[in-house]
Amino acid sequence: MTSAVGRVGTLAVPAQRVGKLQREGRAAYLFLAPALLFFCVFLILPFIFAIVLAFSDWGGFDLGTLKWAGTANFGDVLSFDGTFVKPILVNTLLFAFGSVFLATFGSVLVAYCIDRLAFQGFWRVLYFLPVVATVVAIGNVWKMMYQPAGLINGVLNKLGVNSIGFLSDASYALPSVTVVQAWASIGGAVLILTAGLKAIPEMYYEAAEVDGANSWHMFWSITLPLLRPALLFVLITQFIGGLQSFALIIVMTGDGGPVNATNVAAFEMYQRAFKYGAWGTASAMAMVLFVIILAITLLQLWVARRRGEETS
Amino acid sequence: MRRHGKFPWFAYLVVILGGVAMVMPFLDMVMSSFKGAGEYGVIPYKLFPESFDLNNYREAFSQLELPRLFRNSVIVTVSVTVSVLITSALAGYALAKLRFRGRAVIFRFILATMMLPPFLLLIPTFLIMLNWPLAGGNDFLGRGGDGGLTTSLLALILPFTVSGFGIFLMRQFMISLPDEMLEAAKIDGANQWQIWRLIVLPQTKPVAITLGLITFIGTWNEYIWTLLISSSDPSLQTLPVGIQLLQSFLDPDRTMPIVMAGLVISTLPVLVVFLVFQKYYVRGVVLSGLK
Repeated sequence: MTSAVGRVGTLAVPAQRVGKLQREGRAAYLFLAPALLFFCVFLILPFIFAIVLAFSDWGGFDLGTLKWAGTANFGDVLSFDGTFVKPILVNTLLFAFGSVFLATFGSVLVAYCIDRLAFQGFWRVLYFLPVVATVVAIGNVWKMMYQPAGLINGVLNKLGVNSIGFLSDASYALPSVTVVQAWASIGGAVLILTAGLKAIPEMYYEAAEVDGANSWHMFWSITLPLLRPALLFVLITQFIGGLQSFALIIVMTGDGGPVNATNVAAFEMYQRAFKYGAWGTASAMAMVLFVIILAITLLQLWVARRRGEETS
Repeated sequence: MRRHGKFPWFAYLVVILGGVAMVMPFLDMVMSSFKGAGEYGVIPYKLFPESFDLNNYREAFSQLELPRLFRNSVIVTVSVTVSVLITSALAGYALAKLRFRGRAVIFRFILATMMLPPFLLLIPTFLIMLNWPLAGGNDFLGRGGDGGLTTSLLALILPFTVSGFGIFLMRQFMISLPDEMLEAAKIDGANQWQIWRLIVLPQTKPVAITLGLITFIGTWNEYIWTLLISSSDPSLQTLPVGIQLLQSFLDPDRTMPIVMAGLVISTLPVLVVFLVFQKYYVRGVVLSGLK
């Protein structure tokens, strides 16, 4: 990139150059003004507010009644006789891990297979449909299919298996919503993994074929290692998404039930805040989850950087 | 297509079985939307309705007040999409092509905004809306009013008017536009605004379609924030929230087919938009994966 300073500098006297750059700087800040204003009001301000609230005792309405509570909220939230650590935080991790595991396994398999078929665009669109649909459609359709008189139990009954209370039985409820979350996120992962697959040079496969490798060998020793960057990206973004998503759980279970069996951290925060007005406790929960997500994001950056050093 | 090995029967088997799992729920949704009063929730389960009766669709229009929900959804989605496109193109241009003090810092800040999880800002943003100065009866300090901005459709629009991802996407695209073209316009006496408006903006069409589509679909389907804002004022409901709340009030076996009819109607616009522009959407998802 040739810099504007260098280009102008050979022709113009310094005073003019400064004037030109100043004008460009002013224009730049005018172009950025809407975005910067927005981020001040809807990002920096709420972020500070979120931190303050987590350390406060506040009944709502008048900010004058806000009282400093130190780490009392965190003590309440993280105490082991409460419900937040167990089962809610445990549910959150199981939900995120479970759905990411299923979606990643499924999407690697599907992306690898689609790459060998005709009509690839058609197949990819098909798997992408749930990403386009609203969570209300996905949640309700699956809720319907999970009913005793629904599609899945209908198939089970045909096979001679008794009906299962997928959403009403506390031991099945969390796995049931986890499967739906995975189902809904396969399509996005397939797209990204396909881009990763396309970037693998064809000649590697040709060379392996000459050496007599079968498809299985090729998958393990060529596809999977070279797919790692795309795979890592899918894993991390979906895991972060899974840790904070609760729209599906609201739609499918209403209250995170039966008895907290499907309750997750972000949903508990939502209910504490907007149902019970416990702003301080809810904000402390948000902070705990935020720190977990931040730690995972930093871990991701660290891994990516270390791998970068390895290869260069 | 990679043609190693013989006919990929195993690949076909996997993809078709998976495809059935992907399509089945949507098929069940469409079929249930035609089921009559005594047909839904009956054991043994039947996929197909006895007749393709449009009664549920008529019910959906009257019980759900679909026209009102549709109007709200369209207003919110169009406003957010237009705003995101304009603000992203403006900020993206400054970050890609203008030289100014603080550019690197601001770009890094934009990247950092994408890492902040939305749920963290849910509570404070709601409180900011509630105490918005000079709205809904609030005084200029944001006190005393009756709901502040939360009683207006603006509450569903304002918090989404700028997107860090959108700015990033635009910046990445604009950085590849040739500098010579902009220099030539500068020599011809164009100011930065004219360069942006007349030279840069028309070139961004492909990335604008990608960003517009991602924003459109995301906003159309937005659920949590709208649920929260409209909980005190049902006139602000959009399609997903209105349809969801109908079914929680009434007997599920009676209303589920109506809900399904509503969902079919509300899913169709996004589906059509997606299918028409799908190659742009696909590219956007892939681009976001390569940041």
